[in-house]
Amino acid sequence: MDFNFQDPFTSIGELLRGLLLGWGLAPGLVSLILMLLGALVLAGFAMTLAGVFLTWLDRKLAARIQDRLGPNRVGPFGIFQPIADAIKLITKEDIIPEGAERAIFKLAPMLAVMSAVGIWAVVPFAPRLIGTDLNVGVLYIVAVGAIGTLSIMMGGMASNNKYAMLGAFRTVAQMVAYEIPMVIALLVPTMLAGTMGVGGIVEAQRGGWFIVLAPVATLLFFVSAMAEAGRAPFDLLEAESEIVAGYNVEYSGMKFGMFYVAEFLHGVTIAALTATLFLGGWLGPGAQQFPLLGLVYFAIKTAFVYLVISLIRFSMPRIRIDHLLAFNWKLLTPLALAAVIVTAIADKLAPALGWNRAVVHLTANILLAWATFEALRAYARGIRQRVEVQPAAVETGGAD
Amino acid sequence: MSEQEQSTVAEPLEVHFPQAVTPDERKGYQGYVVATEALPEVATYARDELGYDYLSSVTGVDYLPEGKTEVVYHAYRTAGGPALVLKVQVPREDPVVPSLVGIYPSADFQEREAWDLLGIRFSGHPNLKRILMWEGFHGHPLRKDYQEVYFEAENKPFKNRWPEGKVYRVEEKAPLKKNVQYPPDFTAEGWVPEGDAALYAGMGQVVAAEGGNGRALNTDQIVVNLGPQHPSTHGVFRLVVTLEGETIVDLEPVMGYLHRNHEKIGERNTFLMNMPYTDRLDYICAMGNNFGYSLAVEKLMGITPPERAEYIRVMMAELTRIVNHLWAIGFLLNDLGAYFTPALYAIEERELVLDVFEAVSGSRMMCNYFRFGGVARDLPEGVLDVVRELVHERLPRKVDELDTYLTHNEIIRARCVGVGVLPPEDAIAYGMAGPVLRASGVPYDVRRADPYSIYDRLDFDVAVRYNGDVYDRYIIRLDEIRQSLRILEQVLRDIPEGEVQTGKPQYQVRVPAGEAYGRVENPKGELGFYVVSNGKPNPWRYHVRAPSFINLTAMGEMCKGQKVADVVAILGSIDIVLGEVDR
Amino acid sequence: MPTDFLPIAVLIALATVLAFLVVLIGHLFGPRRPTATKLEPYESGMRPYGPGQRRMPVHFYLVAMLFILFDVEIVFLLPWAVVLRQLRLFALIEMVVFIAVLLVGFVYAWKKGALEWE
Repeated sequence: MDFNFQDPFTSIGELLRGLLLGWGLAPGLVSLILMLLGALVLAGFAMTLAGVFLTWLDRKLAARIQDRLGPNRVGPFGIFQPIADAIKLITKEDIIPEGAERAIFKLAPMLAVMSAVGIWAVVPFAPRLIGTDLNVGVLYIVAVGAIGTLSIMMGGMASNNKYAMLGAFRTVAQMVAYEIPMVIALLVPTMLAGTMGVGGIVEAQRGGWFIVLAPVATLLFFVSAMAEAGRAPFDLLEAESEIVAGYNVEYSGMKFGMFYVAEFLHGVTIAALTATLFLGGWLGPGAQQFPLLGLVYFAIKTAFVYLVISLIRFSMPRIRIDHLLAFNWKLLTPLALAAVIVTAIADKLAPALGWNRAVVHLTANILLAWATFEALRAYARGIRQRVEVQPAAVETGGAD
Repeated sequence: MSEQEQSTVAEPLEVHFPQAVTPDERKGYQGYVVATEALPEVATYARDELGYDYLSSVTGVDYLPEGKTEVVYHAYRTAGGPALVLKVQVPREDPVVPSLVGIYPSADFQEREAWDLLGIRFSGHPNLKRILMWEGFHGHPLRKDYQEVYFEAENKPFKNRWPEGKVYRVEEKAPLKKNVQYPPDFTAEGWVPEGDAALYAGMGQVVAAEGGNGRALNTDQIVVNLGPQHPSTHGVFRLVVTLEGETIVDLEPVMGYLHRNHEKIGERNTFLMNMPYTDRLDYICAMGNNFGYSLAVEKLMGITPPERAEYIRVMMAELTRIVNHLWAIGFLLNDLGAYFTPALYAIEERELVLDVFEAVSGSRMMCNYFRFGGVARDLPEGVLDVVRELVHERLPRKVDELDTYLTHNEIIRARCVGVGVLPPEDAIAYGMAGPVLRASGVPYDVRRADPYSIYDRLDFDVAVRYNGDVYDRYIIRLDEIRQSLRILEQVLRDIPEGEVQTGKPQYQVRVPAGEAYGRVENPKGELGFYVVSNGKPNPWRYHVRAPSFINLTAMGEMCKGQKVADVVAILGSIDIVLGEVDR
Repeated sequence: MPTDFLPIAVLIALATVLAFLVVLIGHLFGPRRPTATKLEPYESGMRPYGPGQRRMPVHFYLVAMLFILFDVEIVFLLPWAVVLRQLRLFALIEMVVFIAVLLVGFVYAWKKGALEWE
């Protein structure tokens, strides 16, 4: 068998399959072993990527934003800092507080990692390099993501700690609420591609990335997914300055490490999903012929989105819970529903009028965004009028 | 300086209360001695008729030889002008004074402090319990017959609390091991501080320790401690809050974790030895603290520093204000959850100013630079150029930068506007000082209201904002930095050559008997030093009116009904430093 | 196709096993010196007053209920979104009506104050 350098993944798979079959193993068993190997590579890849490289990159970026140097002691440019951190975490005492629900307390960090890694099963890294191209991929992403919410709630409620409990309360309000606009926004690429399979959605973007066809939905997904992952400015569930560390305040050692990795992975996952669903995934010039190039494109897009998330995280203060919910229920959710309807109508309208699909969609989105801004502006005017009346009344009472 | 003005004010008070009010005629003393039972009446009159609406300082002095305890009140008009000093003299065996909390809510914490440290009971105080020492502490340390436990007392510490006890662990290794004694059944884990049980019990009657409040359809209220070990309490400060969901139902500040009885130390030190201790009060603004203490003692000594020293003092005080406000803004943003970015931007500028402090005093934070009648040494060569560069080039640019990045940020506005509102009348009543008071629309600044040093010659505006919320408290700090820069420009322009110290530098200053209250507009508010001398090398009484401490009086009022997230924002906007709160 | 889910099962199992192993390693290498004070739940250095597990305030149930409401609607929307291309105009109108009905409920909840956090 020739080794095809243009498509190494398939070739490696074929090579291994041939090898194993040659050893006289049953074909079913061979498939299972290959799957296991693939999963191992995928999980290992995801965990090392998030756990080591991105942690380091994130910290370096944060340092640069904040006028600092960042980690620079362990290895060149401090790149092995996360490894040193991991070793430290491993040698830390594992404390389970008094009165905690021990089983749930132990299970929660593992569930968190499981859900964060699980999503990667349906993310296409490159052509034909995908765990499995489920026909209900989008639904799967939502479902597995919800397990992460569950794990945070479990951790918070099982800790027998009031800060953790407050964190769990906030999780309920925040993560549950933001799932709505996120899922509704996911309807848009589904509709545009005509499939729920993630691989199919990427393929459907050959004609044009969905960020062009559905910018509003892209933004909605990005924002609500950030809230869903609890990234700043939506990090209420672990708000350090208020409830210290929220749900993970009682976790120590590697259990904390698991939550930490899961949180990072979740951030990367959002980036990867945004890149896949709206930025064309692995698509790019020459990616079809050279899947490795596809992987590079995918990594670049993911890293870009992730860095945007980090940039926002290090430049925004935290938003308060009532604003958080009002933002979700009163803006994101109606807007997401409107985006779905607008997309559906535009999708029907374009062939009927015989116009270019992208133009119709883009126009519809711009109209929608404009209407939203107008509505917001009117609302803000109302508020400002109320606020501006106040100081005059105060002034007469106070100044001498 | 203020004798004449006071006498014009005084007539009505004396005329109105011919029996109850007599001028204080001791040499070096001012104000009026008020009969104990007439105090509320006199205070009400002074507030309503004479316009002394701002009770700045309440403290006590233990006159052991005379066998009496004196409570001293300093009240001011927010319109400006000198103090009205009221005194109440009670026998020191059982000092009971009517509480003024009903008339001046700002007396709340200060009366508790006087009870705690001097054992003066204020009848009618709603919550008279210890504030700086812990509940269960034996004695009142500022009383002159109090013997300090390790060094003076017959009964060693804790013996009076746990008689017949046993020595345990850490103390075993300590040289004074026999001094600590615990009862036989004592365990560190099982010990509940006496004060806490009472505190929790007071935090909303509906809360039962088992959870649930008896009303099946209502949600649980929970009592949560924010602090002492909490990232946004700015030190070891504790807020006990009762929460319903995310909303604050009740809040009680608990302090004293950093208490070192600064005032007792002050009474043991000589006047000059005290100077470096004032650095440790509000350790962000050491220069400002030095300033206040110098003013008080100079008033007693009757000296004024030479011209150049005055300019240097004002320069240092205004640089300190910039440092403090940068710090305050940075950490307010941190409390709002901005991940240190604004704080680090602000601290970078602070470091540059600290370089100046290091150059002039040899220390970046604990400056110890002021002396009675001047400053420790003249400015080294080149410092003025550095300050000029800072004031004219770097700082204005950086303040504008902070302004651009923060002021119109949508999240900051949403988090700050309308949060923790304190109306002007409340701000005055609670004795708020500094930016917090001025953000509520009260243009009261000691630099203008009762000018000291050379501030009457300088051209600057008192920054005022009118909404009294967290946002205004943030933005007023930017305003004040700009005003400070304006002052610094004039100081740099006009600073004369000459001596920096009146007379020879001396280690032992002669301070005539008497009392003096020196106050400065420190960055955090009015910092007052009340010093009583009896002619000895060390002060008989040394009291600090700490702005951070008194500004916390309104904390509970501002937080009720707000969210958990708002509490840290409000606390950040008050801008406390625990070194000063706990003293 | 059930076989499609096999890789997922493998991946999730593997992730869980890995997570478990890592925690186990931490468990093996970390010291274990529990003291009563150390095992106390953290509450800013004070001994906690009252239990750490309480009933959730009622606001949160409201959010959860709204979530259920919307989530069920979305389940109906998903298959429609997939096959919208193949369907005729009627499907679009039908779904607009459906969303309109949903919005009526939403507006009702809004007006009732269910979306306010107080």
